Amino acid sequence: MSGNPYVHRPTASPQAAAEWTQRQILMTNLRTVAGRAYPRVRGLAREKSWLFFEILLPFLTTSAFVFVYRALQAPPEYVGFVVLGGAMTAFWLNVIWMMASQLWWEKSQGNLELYFAAPMDIVAVLLGMAVGGMVMSSSRAAVVLVVATVVYGVTFAVDQWLLLLAVFFLTLTALYGLGMVLASLFLMWGREAYHLTQFLQEPVYFVSGLNFPVGRLGMLGALAIALLPLAVGLDAMRQLAFADAAYPVGTPPPEVEALILVVMTVVFLSLARWMLRTLERLARREGRLTIRWQ
Amino acid sequence: MSATAPLAIETHALRRVYRAKPNDVVALDGIDLEVAPGEFFGLLGPNGAGKTTLIKILTTLLLPTTGEARIFGFDVVHQTKQIRRIMNMVAGGEQSGYGILEVREQLWMFSQFYGLGSRDGWRRVDELIDAVGLDEQRRQKVSTLSTGQRQKMNFARGLLNDPWIFFLDEPTLGLDVSAARAVRELILSWKAAVPGRTVLLTSHYMAEVDELCERIAIVDHGRVLAIGSPAELKHRVQRESIFRLELDRLDGGTASLARLPGVVAASAAASDEGNGQGDRQSVSVNLVLEDDAALGGVVGALGGLGAQILALRKSEPTLEDVFVELVGRGFDDAPDASRDETPPQGRAANPQPRREDEPAEEELV
Amino acid sequence: MTADAPVAPTAPPALGSPEWGGFDPARTRGRGLRDLRRSFMTAARLGWQTEANWTDPILFFIYSVAKPLSTTLIFVVMIEVIGGASTREFRGFVVVGTALWAFVIAGIAGLAWAVLDDRERYRMLKYVVVSPSDFLTVLLGRGVARIAVGGMGAAITLSVGVLALGVPLDAGRIDWPLLLPVMLGGLVTIVAVGILLAAVCIQTRQESWSYPEAAAGALFLVTGAVFPLSVLPAPVQVVGWLTPLTWWIEGVRLAVFPAGPSGIGGTGSAFAAFTGRVRPEPHEIVVALLGTGVLVTLAAIVGFRVSLHRAKDRGLLDQTTGS
Ligand SMILES: Nc1ncnc2c1ncn2[C@@H]1O[C@H](COP(=O)(O)OP(=O)(O)O)[C@@H](O)[C@H]1O
Ligand SMILES: [Mg+2]
Repeated sequence: MSGNPYVHRPTASPQAAAEWTQRQILMTNLRTVAGRAYPRVRGLAREKSWLFFEILLPFLTTSAFVFVYRALQAPPEYVGFVVLGGAMTAFWLNVIWMMASQLWWEKSQGNLELYFAAPMDIVAVLLGMAVGGMVMSSSRAAVVLVVATVVYGVTFAVDQWLLLLAVFFLTLTALYGLGMVLASLFLMWGREAYHLTQFLQEPVYFVSGLNFPVGRLGMLGALAIALLPLAVGLDAMRQLAFADAAYPVGTPPPEVEALILVVMTVVFLSLARWMLRTLERLARREGRLTIRWQ
Repeated sequence: MSATAPLAIETHALRRVYRAKPNDVVALDGIDLEVAPGEFFGLLGPNGAGKTTLIKILTTLLLPTTGEARIFGFDVVHQTKQIRRIMNMVAGGEQSGYGILEVREQLWMFSQFYGLGSRDGWRRVDELIDAVGLDEQRRQKVSTLSTGQRQKMNFARGLLNDPWIFFLDEPTLGLDVSAARAVRELILSWKAAVPGRTVLLTSHYMAEVDELCERIAIVDHGRVLAIGSPAELKHRVQRESIFRLELDRLDGGTASLARLPGVVAASAAASDEGNGQGDRQSVSVNLVLEDDAALGGVVGALGGLGAQILALRKSEPTLEDVFVELVGRGFDDAPDASRDETPPQGRAANPQPRREDEPAEEELV
Repeated sequence: MTADAPVAPTAPPALGSPEWGGFDPARTRGRGLRDLRRSFMTAARLGWQTEANWTDPILFFIYSVAKPLSTTLIFVVMIEVIGGASTREFRGFVVVGTALWAFVIAGIAGLAWAVLDDRERYRMLKYVVVSPSDFLTVLLGRGVARIAVGGMGAAITLSVGVLALGVPLDAGRIDWPLLLPVMLGGLVTIVAVGILLAAVCIQTRQESWSYPEAAAGALFLVTGAVFPLSVLPAPVQVVGWLTPLTWWIEGVRLAVFPAGPSGIGGTGSAFAAFTGRVRPEPHEIVVALLGTGVLVTLAAIVGFRVSLHRAKDRGLLDQTTGS
């Protein structure tokens, strides 16, 4: 390498260097997304135990639910419901394990301070985590969906492909928006947050109707549809993917549920932004950006 | 200072109180500092003095309770983005990053946070890895680095964005002598590369501050006790001249010297070379003079006493002496230091034993 | 300090002496049972304080109420959705299976998380490993604290099943002589599986938090916890027979609902085809549990030792591996 290693991008003065264009800000945030996703992707490539634990075993769990319906001699579309639920669990787990608790982890590892000291937006860091984590959750979702569909003979009946796709992506944006909200909440609550992750598993699976139509839960189901992206998204996708099934009523039509997802996305993302700002201010005021274990 | 070119660091009545049980902690108690662009400025103080707190405020990670601070004119409370674009920081014992990554991967990730292009980032990272001397560890996992290697990597991270101001919080903490020297040389070469680059270094190693810093603030209990260049500060406590004499013999003992004009005190000291077993017996004397000029008379008188001078060195006061003078206690026996050391004895009559890496004495003969 | 240095009888103990926390040569000799017990009790207390504190209502709610009960309710609603004649009986089947699963999740996850917690969160794993206490014993202690939480969850789930979901439990007809040995064998097995997962987590990254629960979830498929094995293809049923948890659940079910459906047997099951009987006898269950349990326990101990050795060999104990 030629030139002085201590001078890379010379700037005229500190003042000039401190003023960035909108484009510079945007590019830095985009690059941050890629930068933060990178360790996740490398980690997956480097240590492959997740192929067994995050793909094969969850597939077996989903299979167990399928066999419950088989034992009950349920109509075939119920197997489809379970398979779809099993696929979407991947994203939910990704949100709570690799996003919600992550800022808190970053803090305990000493990274959070460096993130705040750098010029990018912390939202970009969170997005990067999400994108990196999605490599794993998407593989898991795809494998569960495809293999289970083939092995257990699920037949889909889709009339509105576009809406189905839209609902899927809206579910993801709403889910990861909620993940960001949770990330800031967890950071605030510290250690207790870890227990909250636990709370967000089985109870959420239950009220989201992961293995049965959520409409069956009555008021509880309605509440879940109003609050949990997983519940609305799953219900809408089931209605759209099994259009010919005698789907139990009690939930809004998929178009309305798509709208709910749009609202959730907007609300969660703005809430997350606001919370992260508030959190940064609070943390700076109280001196809580680091903890050291040494 | 002129209004057109703002100071690199400017603080005014900076105060920071931590809410803590059972009592609130006043970490900074009215700090006023002015550091010019291009300066290498040191904060010297014992553990708990408030150095890290000050650095955190200046790096926008902590809010002041009251008072003001500006970095190149940007307010640390409200203009955080601007400051974050032009500064960087490295702390001793820093354990940042992700253990599964290789050194260059980890650095590349950080380069993206500062907006370097993807390829530009890789190129920059490799360049800095060479510059900090980590070329052999380039593809090594971060979790397997030694303390010194890790700190070199942290420095490479800190230099990724060509900061105009570099905050170093005890950067050589836990490093051995050679690794610490490598780090110090690195800082100096980086700073020299562009005029106007500013460094704020905190340390409780006096030799380090003495060697690197152009100006120093001595802090304790959240207050600045003195500011000045190392020489100025030392001069402040140097009311007398202290010499160390090595003689082949001294008939009549040190008392014969103490009577000489201009001699404040003379005392026997443990011999440096002859340890009683060698062929050569020698006598060591610590001599405190009113000023350097009195030395001539002493040398002449020694000839008269039949003593031959084997060595003569002038003892310079150290920053530690400055600290003792300012605070009334030694540096290492600060109230919250856990080490149990003997209290410092009278400075003039019996100069403190120097540490090996402290170049405290100047050879005259 | 040398042992034969003359010491005045009244002299205070030297700073380096054991009384002052200094080196005690006796400690380097083999650990007796007493030491093992002490490490175990300390670890159990620690596990209790960190993860299982029942005096903390939130933790109690999450681990002993919300999680196990939700699992049960998922299956109860699945049955409900389908309706039909056989579902009443099936409900009791599922409630017992999922209640017992509270032990499985708590035990397996508790042990594996202890490793991840100590390494990643507290950065203490290396100190635990080098401390004179046997690492395995320490882990066991923490795992047992977790299993107690699981037990509470199981009890609450069963109570809700009986009181609110109409599961017909007749306390007078419980077969205690079967229940007790089967329960004991089951818990030992759970701990063994937990140790195996801990062995895995010593090797894997920080993100392996979900591994223990993934393993527990997959075991749903072969243990007959939530549906009778007879709906599975015959080879998979045989895999179920090789799993001690299958026999444990079958034994507990038989002891609690002597007339209820069998998870292993039943018409059309591989067991029935093989033995010509509808369900296994109690003594068969106990023997099978013992046999498979011993195998799994041995595998766990060996697996754990191998894993720990490899970790020491490669310096995995003191790294943090988040990404
Ligand atoms: N987050 C905090 N909460 C409470 N007290 C703190 C906190 N951080 C530092 N302190 C206290 O503030 C004082 C100054 O600490 P610090 O700035 O770290 O000193 P130094 O870096 O000079 O050793 C110390 O008494 C320390 O205990
Ligand atoms: Mg400090």
